[in-house]
Amino acid sequence: MTYGKNSSSKKRRVLSNESKWGYLFILLPLCTFTLFTLYPLFDALIISFQKFKPLKTEWVGFDNYITTFKNSLFYKSIINTIVYTVLTVPLSMLLSFVIAILIAPLTKRKQNFFKAAYYLPAIASGVALSFVWKWIYDPLPTGLLNRIVHFFGVENQNWLGSSKTSMLSLVLMALLSSHGTSIIIYIAALLGIDNTYFESAEIDGATFFQKLHYIVLPLVKPTTVFLFITGVIGSFQVFQNAYLMTGGGPDNSTTMVGLLIFNNAFTYFDYGQACAQALVLTVIIAIFTFIQFKVTGDGVEY
Amino acid sequence: MKKMKKIIAVLLIAIMGMYALAACGKEDKPEETSKKTEDQAATGDKKEEEKVKPEEEAKKDTVRALLPPVSGTYQDNFDKWEKEFNELYPNLTLEIEAASWEDVTSKLDVQVQAGSPPDIAFVGSGGVPKYLDTELLIDISKYATSDMLADFDELVLNYFKNGDGIYGMPAYAEVHGIGGNREMLEEAGIDWKKVQKEGWTYEEFREAIKAGTVKDGDKTRYGFVFACSGVTAKDYLGIFVKSAGMPSPFTKDLKYAYTSQNFLKLLEAMRTFIDDGSMPKELSSIDAGKRWNMFLTGQTMITGKGLSNFERSAAMNNDKLEANDGSAVEGSIKAEYIILPVPTFFGNDLVTSGAVDGYIAFRGVEEPTEEHLQNVAKAMYFLASGEIAATTCSELMIAPVAESARAAAANIPVPENKIVENSEAQAILMEKIAEARPDITPELGAKEQRIMDEVVGPKFQALLAGEATPQEMYDAVKAAAIDAFGADGIVVD
Repeated sequence: MTYGKNSSSKKRRVLSNESKWGYLFILLPLCTFTLFTLYPLFDALIISFQKFKPLKTEWVGFDNYITTFKNSLFYKSIINTIVYTVLTVPLSMLLSFVIAILIAPLTKRKQNFFKAAYYLPAIASGVALSFVWKWIYDPLPTGLLNRIVHFFGVENQNWLGSSKTSMLSLVLMALLSSHGTSIIIYIAALLGIDNTYFESAEIDGATFFQKLHYIVLPLVKPTTVFLFITGVIGSFQVFQNAYLMTGGGPDNSTTMVGLLIFNNAFTYFDYGQACAQALVLTVIIAIFTFIQFKVTGDGVEY
Repeated sequence: MKKMKKIIAVLLIAIMGMYALAACGKEDKPEETSKKTEDQAATGDKKEEEKVKPEEEAKKDTVRALLPPVSGTYQDNFDKWEKEFNELYPNLTLEIEAASWEDVTSKLDVQVQAGSPPDIAFVGSGGVPKYLDTELLIDISKYATSDMLADFDELVLNYFKNGDGIYGMPAYAEVHGIGGNREMLEEAGIDWKKVQKEGWTYEEFREAIKAGTVKDGDKTRYGFVFACSGVTAKDYLGIFVKSAGMPSPFTKDLKYAYTSQNFLKLLEAMRTFIDDGSMPKELSSIDAGKRWNMFLTGQTMITGKGLSNFERSAAMNNDKLEANDGSAVEGSIKAEYIILPVPTFFGNDLVTSGAVDGYIAFRGVEEPTEEHLQNVAKAMYFLASGEIAATTCSELMIAPVAESARAAAANIPVPENKIVENSEAQAILMEKIAEARPDITPELGAKEQRIMDEVVGPKFQALLAGEATPQEMYDAVKAAAIDAFGADGIVVD
């Protein structure tokens, strides 16, 4: 009995020593996280109650939040962002999944080629990509996309200049140029599935779609949930495409919340308003993420 | 051994931490630098003592400037200018940081918001109210000598005026107008020389661009194309609205002007250019690069916004075409660029849109000394006048706006292929440049800017795309203006 007590306290001491080293090792990332993520977040919360000026900041209470909730453009930007998210995230995931399924059975060398090819846009400069896409969306009949639609008997479209097609153009751009990361993650998940499942399914005479339904989809569910949640968060924060391609127009049809926050902060120097809108966006993202976890996260552990 | 590994790991973490935080270190301020040298001298640093005498050391100062590539060779001269400035003022050092046009504004804005801006920055005069609101902008009239300020053309200098203060010195003033292809103008029967001298009305302009529109099967050569993609749509409206009786968004009694009936009539008139087929229906997504390409490839007779260096750009492309140089714009034709005024509307006088860019001065969070601000004024005047201004203006093919720069420009040869009539037209247009409005307070200016960005610009894009009528746009602008300025703060006619 005495022996057992001594052993337990020794173990605790050893664990405690190990914990100290553990804490020491995570000290740097913890400090970096506190300094560059947590502190700005709290600072943004404080600034959202202020009229920020470098020399003389005034406390304005809830004024920035009241202005935000009275601003019709803010609601329009929220709706635009939701539309963009609803259109891009599921389609992008579906596309990534299909491409990953096509790549996964290939030889290592071929896999590497396709992974690199699909990942290339992710490392390319957003500005360079936007130039290419602007050229694709050239509104005149000589434009690349217009020549393609002309082939199907459709007259040339003002892709980025009309509110009927501007959002669709941004969605198409996002779909075709930003799924490299998802493809690589899906391929990793697919290659992680034990081959014995497929062998036994084949012995049982399962079809391709049965294997997909009963083996692949359940086993890649954690990856799907992860990509879905991070995709939604990323999509809510979208800024670059709208900023570079349309500037939010025409008639604010592509003004996203991210762009609105950017304009408030850097065009009007209204940091208080920008911080208030950013925090409202944070709450919206948190609610969406919570719902997503509740609906899709059952049985998924990380 | 295990312990040693842990110690090494901890050391590595500590080093990484120091690197990560090193960037947050405080920069040496000029005052601190001079204090440091004083301290060194006091502690008997003989080497330093030999170099400079203590009384000279006290006057030493550094002026920092953040400058974009204003003209072709502008940034190539930074070392030379720093040296020349130091020769002129041996106790002063000019440190110039180069920035690209793409990131100069964001770089400056971040530095301003952090409370540590450069002493001097290059901006458009339209940026003055924005920076004035931060309370970091320096009223340079308090530190520059009267001779320095008297060197600049008053009309142009006033663009940097707000209230009683002068917040910068102009590098140049450029008229933003339109420009045409000489051959096509003549083919369409337009007496461009007369137009340059006497201007043209909306009706005359409308007929001219109709005459300049040529359909050839599927292809159309337009009479007029203006860059209207994204924010450039505001340029189109902003340049034309001045000659429709609204030279400023505010009347002299500070009422918001774009609620006037003239504004509605102007929107209707501008829409007719598209409805006539003289401008492409896809105008709302034609960007600056595209419209210049359309001009050089003969897809439009007149283009906007016109900049004076377009004449040089077109001439250079002509030379390349003549020399059969492969770097000429693909599909381009020989084109002589003719500067033209914008049309006048409803019997109003021609008022041109002036882009006045120049140098502004900032203070940081710490209170600067009077002497330092005087040094900043010296550096600002050095950059904005004399040979530097003359060279910059010559490269941009515009007339200098300072007397000293005009004198220096006399020694700079005029480019060989300069069209004489363009120089004369430019001089006429410069005389008609819209009067600066220092009476518009930063608060009013900020409200107007927000209406422009959130309502006028987006609705104008919708108007160009055929998704909003002139009346709908006018109503939206009026509603936003009443919301911002009150029913008494707008023009009702």
